[in-house]
Amino acid sequence: MVDDTSQTINLSAPVLEKLEAGSRPFSILIQKLTGIVGKTDILYNADELLVYECDGYIVDKSVPDIVIFPTSTAQVSEIVKLCNEFNVPFLARGAGTSLSGGCLPIGGGVMIVLTRMKQILELNLRDRYAIVEPGMVNLHLTNALKGTGYHYAPDPSSQGACTIGGNIATNSGGPHTLKYGVTTNHVLGLEAVLPDGSVIELGGPTAEVPGYDLHGVYVGNEGTFGICTKAIVRLTRDPEAHRTMLAVFQTIGDATRAISEMIAEGIIPSALEMMDHGIIQAVEEAFHFGFPLDAGAVLLIEVDGLEVALDAEVSKILEICNKNNVREIQRADTPEERMLIWKSRKQAFGAIGRLSPSYCTQDGVVPRTRLPEILEFIEQTSKKYGLRIVNVFHAGDGNVHPILLFDERDQGQIQLVLEASEEILEKCLELGGSVTGEHGIGVEKINFMSRIFNETDLAMMERVRNIFNPRQICSRDKVLPPHASDNSPKVSQTHPARRAPH
Amino acid sequence: MSPLQSGSQEEFVPASQTELSRFIAENAAGNHRQLFPVGGRTSLAVCCPTSQTGIQLCTSQLNRVVDYPVRDLTITVEAGMRIDELNKMISAEGQRLPIDIPQSNRATIGGVIATNTSGPKRFSYGTIRDYVIGISAIDGQGNLFKSGGRVVKNVAGYDLGKMLVGSLGTLAVISQVSLNLRPKPQTISMVWFQFDSCQTVDQALEAIVTSGTRPIAVEYCNAKAASQIAAEARLELPADQHILCICYEGPENEVHWQANHIVSEWNQYSPLSVQTVVTEEATRLYNAFTEYQTSSDDPVTLKAILLPSQMMKFIEMATRLNIAVQAHAADGIVFGHLPDSASSLDDVQQILNQLKKTIDPKTGYLNIYQCESEWSHSLPLFCSPPAGWNLMQQFKNALDPEHVLNSQRFNELVEI
Ligand SMILES: Cc1cc2nc3c(=O)[nH]c(=O)nc-3n(C[C@H](O)[C@H](O)[C@H](O)COP(=O)(O)OP(=O)(O)OC[C@H]3O[C@@H](n4cnc5c(N)ncnc54)[C@H](O)[C@@H]3O)c2cc1C
Ligand SMILES: Cc1cc2nc3c(=O)[nH]c(=O)nc-3n(C[C@H](O)[C@H](O)[C@H](O)COP(=O)(O)OP(=O)(O)OC[C@H]3O[C@@H](n4cnc5c(N)ncnc54)[C@H](O)[C@@H]3O)c2cc1C
Repeated sequence: MVDDTSQTINLSAPVLEKLEAGSRPFSILIQKLTGIVGKTDILYNADELLVYECDGYIVDKSVPDIVIFPTSTAQVSEIVKLCNEFNVPFLARGAGTSLSGGCLPIGGGVMIVLTRMKQILELNLRDRYAIVEPGMVNLHLTNALKGTGYHYAPDPSSQGACTIGGNIATNSGGPHTLKYGVTTNHVLGLEAVLPDGSVIELGGPTAEVPGYDLHGVYVGNEGTFGICTKAIVRLTRDPEAHRTMLAVFQTIGDATRAISEMIAEGIIPSALEMMDHGIIQAVEEAFHFGFPLDAGAVLLIEVDGLEVALDAEVSKILEICNKNNVREIQRADTPEERMLIWKSRKQAFGAIGRLSPSYCTQDGVVPRTRLPEILEFIEQTSKKYGLRIVNVFHAGDGNVHPILLFDERDQGQIQLVLEASEEILEKCLELGGSVTGEHGIGVEKINFMSRIFNETDLAMMERVRNIFNPRQICSRDKVLPPHASDNSPKVSQTHPARRAPH
Repeated sequence: MSPLQSGSQEEFVPASQTELSRFIAENAAGNHRQLFPVGGRTSLAVCCPTSQTGIQLCTSQLNRVVDYPVRDLTITVEAGMRIDELNKMISAEGQRLPIDIPQSNRATIGGVIATNTSGPKRFSYGTIRDYVIGISAIDGQGNLFKSGGRVVKNVAGYDLGKMLVGSLGTLAVISQVSLNLRPKPQTISMVWFQFDSCQTVDQALEAIVTSGTRPIAVEYCNAKAASQIAAEARLELPADQHILCICYEGPENEVHWQANHIVSEWNQYSPLSVQTVVTEEATRLYNAFTEYQTSSDDPVTLKAILLPSQMMKFIEMATRLNIAVQAHAADGIVFGHLPDSASSLDDVQQILNQLKKTIDPKTGYLNIYQCESEWSHSLPLFCSPPAGWNLMQQFKNALDPEHVLNSQRFNELVEI
């Protein structure tokens, strides 16, 4: 047998400097950085920096020393080179919607915000790609493509705010992942500034590039492999038509069986989103969509494709739902009705605010067929801890988002939420799943890494990270658990996130 | 545990991942022999490796199903599983891996992943990289590692699977994989169009961008390739001009509608003839396309990777040079088989020079895919180093510091 423990590479992460505000090195660094971007594109006053102390994960906070807004790859490269020269950590930030603390500037340092790099550099329908800057908001790309018959397929629920660079770093998914895949399936190539300041290109606009698939390895690095400054993404044909339905079931079991049967019949809906009893009640109270209050689950089912085939597909779906005791099915026959159905799903979260002062959304995954088990476990956990937990999630992918409701002012409840979340994620692993389907490890789930992967796996990931980021100067202490010997600042979870769910 | 001698090549056939990792670790600690992972051995000569002196690590006994939760549309198998066997098993459940694989009776899933094999269907389904959800492999020092998992959505940790797809067995030996599967389509139909010139083909291809139909595959072949493909499929199809063959899959009524619709859409390009091939015959024709791309007794087979919009310029030149050309036309991937008349290294080099002139060096690549072994040292295998070449070498050094895994293979690919 291979001796697992002998594999760990000696990283001896260098101690990076802590910038002291007002110190001489600090002033020189500010002066040099200002020389790169100009006076208006840099922040270093304490009150201005506060906005950047956290992202969508608000549990832990750490204020960067400097926030800078470059407008070109050359500027990013110069900034990174300066950080190296001054030995201060740095990290990238897009829109800051990360739910796992990806943008947390551990140990302070320089935060490089990419939102001013948001141009479309090329749209090429014939060759089906677009080249964009990383700060481009996801939805803006699809909006720019309106009328061409194409769109950018990855559509996280945060797509109105989040950036393509952030999506690449986190390998985002969304409600249409089931049929269209996640971000990595749509990235053809990219440009990045490596943590030493050099600029590299990986992949390219052609269907393949000889050699190793390094852009594939880069996607999902959570900002730890350097800063993406350009992305070449695949464009996807718009479907000719949609059919959208809401199916109301008596029990969760019926709904999940219907899902399994659809897939077994060869139907891959473009979206399969589920809302459970608890969330139905909240949505109904808030928005009066007309859901029966005693229903066990509501499924939003969408199929898309060519008009000519869709009605037959819908009939099959109805048949399967009927076989599984569906109570009623609402169908959208017009684009307005379709929007209304999607609204019920998207506004589910707005409704949660009515239920509880605080909430924490988890991001576990199980094999699709194990959904009944995980949902039952969540219910038991809810009872065990006396916590209300509601569910609205991407059922087609087995990606559950249990929302734990609590009162932030009550320390006791906070502890219970942490423990309950942990148990649910453990159960996901036990059922053959994962602790994150789309939010990433970040700082939030770093402790889970050694439960999912053994020492050799982690050492290999570390080796790969070290190729890009040997000094760990870029987005330090994310994704991989630090070595016991490391003396870098640690983040330990003390509080559940009051996160925006989706 | 010592390797067996088989023919002129020593070979080691591990019965488990653990045995394989121990063997590699011993080699790394000991005499650093060259190791060559092999699956079905269908393409060991592809991309012209130099003579292999060392030990073949043969995955033929790593061929078990680890887990097949049918209703989850995922499967976990060992890397040596043969593609036909895999297909038989999942097909019985109405499922498939939508990747085109030649010589599927011999090729293994490990080999397919190591070479990133793909074919016509990549236009709509992507390549094997899009289906690997978890992977286990053993690096050049014997470390058995994994990444990903068995669920279709998972972002825990770095995606090391991508690193191994297409790595040609130079970074690690793939030992086990979890794959995402798709439902099998109901029916297949192919429409075989004959056009009079490359220009018309290019116009028709451009129209695909906004076609009302959604093709699964768009194959081009020139007359020389077309007649061989039709013969292989045992079909009487007109094959004396440029052919575009467009493929649809799915429910019967949808496929039928699309096949008719494309004929009316392309009417404006005045095809010389149109023929629709369905069901069993369409499958035969499809398989002929899949096999043709790489099968070759020709002196040289080359592969060009181009932007689709720039592809016909290359094809026009290749056709003029009497090369049999097949292309996954909507993806810009071109396979060319040189004629027997290209009988000397000089001839081949002249042909390559002509072809290179039609390629934009910023976006295009030309590889020698297969050639007479005595030429392999003299022919430039790639036009230019790919983006990120320096980083690629760092990957090699990090995973295989002793350079014992297929170490010539990747270096040879690039003309530095
Ligand atoms: C309401 C809501 C709904 C959401 N829905 C979904 C969903 O459906 N699916 C999903 O996957 N996620 C979802 N998320 C999570 C989040 O939106 C995604 O992770 C998104 O991709 C983050 O993009 P961003 O631009 O906000 O990145 P940020 O939050 O700014 O950064 C995220 C990470 O990416 C890194 N990064 C950012 N830009 C770059 C760059 N240019 N180069 C290198 N690294 C970079 C950062 O360092 C950080 O580690 C949701 C979040 C919210 C608040
Ligand atoms: C560079 C290359 C590109 C190819 N591209 C295409 C294509 O685009 N379309 C197409 O139709 N055919 C392609 N082929 C041909 C053929 O389809 C595949 O090679 C075949 O599917 C591989 O299966 P095999 O089991 O026969 O592999 P083998 O012929 O045994 O091995 C092929 C290569 O893969 C490596 N390899 C095999 N098994 C493993 C393993 N378990 N772990 C690590 N490495 C392993 C070997 O070292 C060798 O380098 C390509 C072949 C090569 C060499």
